[in-house]
Amino acid sequence: MANQTGRTSQAQARLSQVSNHLGGGAAKKGRQALLEKHPDDIVVTCALRTPFTKGGKGGFKDTAAADLLVGTFKALIERSGIDPKLVDDIAVGAVLAPGGGATEFRAAALAAGFPVTTSAKSINRQCSSSLQACVDIANAIKSGMIEIGIGAGAESMSQQYGPQAVTEFSELLENHKEAANCKVPMGVLSEKMAKAKGIPRSEQDAFAAASYQKAVIAQKKGLFDKEIAPLTVKWTDPKTDEEKEITVSRDDGVRDGITAESLGKIRPAFAKDGSIHAGNASQISDGAAAVLLMKRSTAERIGQKVIGKFVQASVVGVPPLLMGVGPAAAIPVVLEKTGLNKDDVDIWEINEAFASQCVFCIKELGIPMEKVNPKGGAIAFGHPLGVTGARQVSTLLTELRRTGQRIGVTSMCVGTGMGMAAVWVAE
Amino acid sequence: MLEFRTQGFNGYSVKYSPFFDSRIAVAASANFGLVGNGRVYILGLTPNGIVAEKYFDTQDSLFDTTWSETNEHQLLTAGGDGSVKLFDINLSEFPVQSWTEHAREVFSVHWNLVSKDTFLSSSWDGTIKIWNPNTANSLTTLPTHSCTYSAQFSPHSPTILSSVSSDSHLRIFDLRTPASASNHLTLNIPIHTPPKPRMGAAAPVGIPPSEALTHDWNKYRDTIIATAGVDRLIRTFDIRAPAQGPIAVLAGHEYAVRRITWSPHLSDILLSASYDMTCRVWTDGSAMGAGGPAKQENMLEAQNMILGGGREMGRMGRHTEFVTGVDWCLFGAEGWCASTGWDERVLVWDCRAIMQ
Repeated sequence: MANQTGRTSQAQARLSQVSNHLGGGAAKKGRQALLEKHPDDIVVTCALRTPFTKGGKGGFKDTAAADLLVGTFKALIERSGIDPKLVDDIAVGAVLAPGGGATEFRAAALAAGFPVTTSAKSINRQCSSSLQACVDIANAIKSGMIEIGIGAGAESMSQQYGPQAVTEFSELLENHKEAANCKVPMGVLSEKMAKAKGIPRSEQDAFAAASYQKAVIAQKKGLFDKEIAPLTVKWTDPKTDEEKEITVSRDDGVRDGITAESLGKIRPAFAKDGSIHAGNASQISDGAAAVLLMKRSTAERIGQKVIGKFVQASVVGVPPLLMGVGPAAAIPVVLEKTGLNKDDVDIWEINEAFASQCVFCIKELGIPMEKVNPKGGAIAFGHPLGVTGARQVSTLLTELRRTGQRIGVTSMCVGTGMGMAAVWVAE
Repeated sequence: MLEFRTQGFNGYSVKYSPFFDSRIAVAASANFGLVGNGRVYILGLTPNGIVAEKYFDTQDSLFDTTWSETNEHQLLTAGGDGSVKLFDINLSEFPVQSWTEHAREVFSVHWNLVSKDTFLSSSWDGTIKIWNPNTANSLTTLPTHSCTYSAQFSPHSPTILSSVSSDSHLRIFDLRTPASASNHLTLNIPIHTPPKPRMGAAAPVGIPPSEALTHDWNKYRDTIIATAGVDRLIRTFDIRAPAQGPIAVLAGHEYAVRRITWSPHLSDILLSASYDMTCRVWTDGSAMGAGGPAKQENMLEAQNMILGGGREMGRMGRHTEFVTGVDWCLFGAEGWCASTGWDERVLVWDCRAIMQ
């Protein structure tokens, strides 16, 4: 028997030697290389989200971020069929929660049915928090630190949006020009950027109206159903003050009948002669999303169905006042890393923080408008800050799989001046 | 093109006899050399095609073979169980001698071409051993500390030998030097050293080390050695100027190069066998009028590595699996060669037919 074991490990060693001969040398890049399947690929076996609801009045206005997270985790466990004991670590992106939400997210994991051995952390990289959470988990799996993990995001803008989310700047920071720029409100700096980059209001309104129209069609066709996990919560009727139990199953920010003309009538929000208003900026929303990640070899071993894989991510800093250009800075870097040409990408999920910055990035990158956000974006159904990164993964993989396409990029601009992007492959 | 099937055994090495132009030895292994038996074939080239004159079976995989330079009936094999065996084709079944000092797979065996009384073996255990066929133990052990895929005596000097290994280094040993702390090691050349910057081409930076799988001494220019391996590039080095980096770099193979061998007839021509299922003929650009300017439309990533004016002169793509062994016939018209691979085939062909 001992001899048998020796034989097996010897054959293993020889096999891995030959596979090293093949894998080594100049790393293969480009679309074809990305489509290859390898046992050490970091794959997604489940990606879903709650519906997004309007801040302050939507279905989740009375639900804490952690409660949304519990619901998301429960749905993830149910849909994927994963044994919660196998999940080693959970990273949750959140922007507004005091203390990053670290305490309540760990509690949420326990409440959702994960054992005490499953660890949890919170991550805040502003609007890319949950993409960063997914990337952190993927990297931890790649390095061997963990085997199975969840990248997630949870945000209740209804309950936690406000000045308390940022600490007062010290004199030192206030007196440093670029540092002080970090706290200029998003709307104000986007207004300036739209002017500086020459994106006219008409173009912004047309883009925003298209986002609504795409989302309406997608919702009517039920294209969000696969990525959304409905959630039953308590909700207080503002008219009667009566507490009810409701089941939220669709994004309530999506409105029918919006056109560039109807948006053209709205008064600008940040400057009298400005171009940005409630209709061409992302909505304030509540929601949560989660992505289950592991190696392909692990997925095959425990019988998880692979729906896509994570390839590579990039993060790049830009001037704080030009934070909206983030995707235009981060996307070329991730394409370079993966050897992809922009024509190789089938779907782009670029977050619509503001129509102005999104239009600018699309033009700057020279990508065809019809490949961007085919089911609409944050303007139509909301941008719960820390959730968007993980939301994009579920939206992207669902749409790629539905249309039989393969390669997608998710990207967003990040407050204080950064851009993040990631390449995903649907299977 | 002549063909022989090594049914059930995947080829690893092929060698022409230095005594007969019609005799070839092939080392092969069952199950792709991962687990199982090995077999060394003695093939005869006859008017009726290739026939197996004899074969010997071994307990473990065989990765290399080489003919004795003193006895036309004897040949050596490199075994997966760490053994080096000497077979005599006048005897049946068993080896004349078996040496089992290596702790892991032996990947190469090579006979001393000048003094002809010694041979060497190199192994995954990180050593090269020098042997005399008449003694039971090795004469010398030279450490390389990394899996040594290929080792050879110089064809020009009885005491100089070389090796390449998985640590991306080309080593030269001279047995005339005192053993001392360096164990006869006289040169240790990093194969991944980028070429010197040239006019019109920036020096490539950050070339990562990669496993070197094969090398060969030029048969005419006594200081020139070619190496190749996992990074798919064939390089030539001049051991008189070890710090200079490669003097020629040939790019083209799409996967790792498993075996290279210089022509016994022409000083600038070499043959390669690769995991990309092709054998290719190259000139290193050293012969007058050979090569010519590098092709400009070639937008390979490794372009600024290409050096020395060498080029691919032709390729043989008849193998349907990894090609692992290739060798030149020493006799007759310049250009006959034999190749073997994981497709269980030995092909004998004239490379002049594929050269452009």
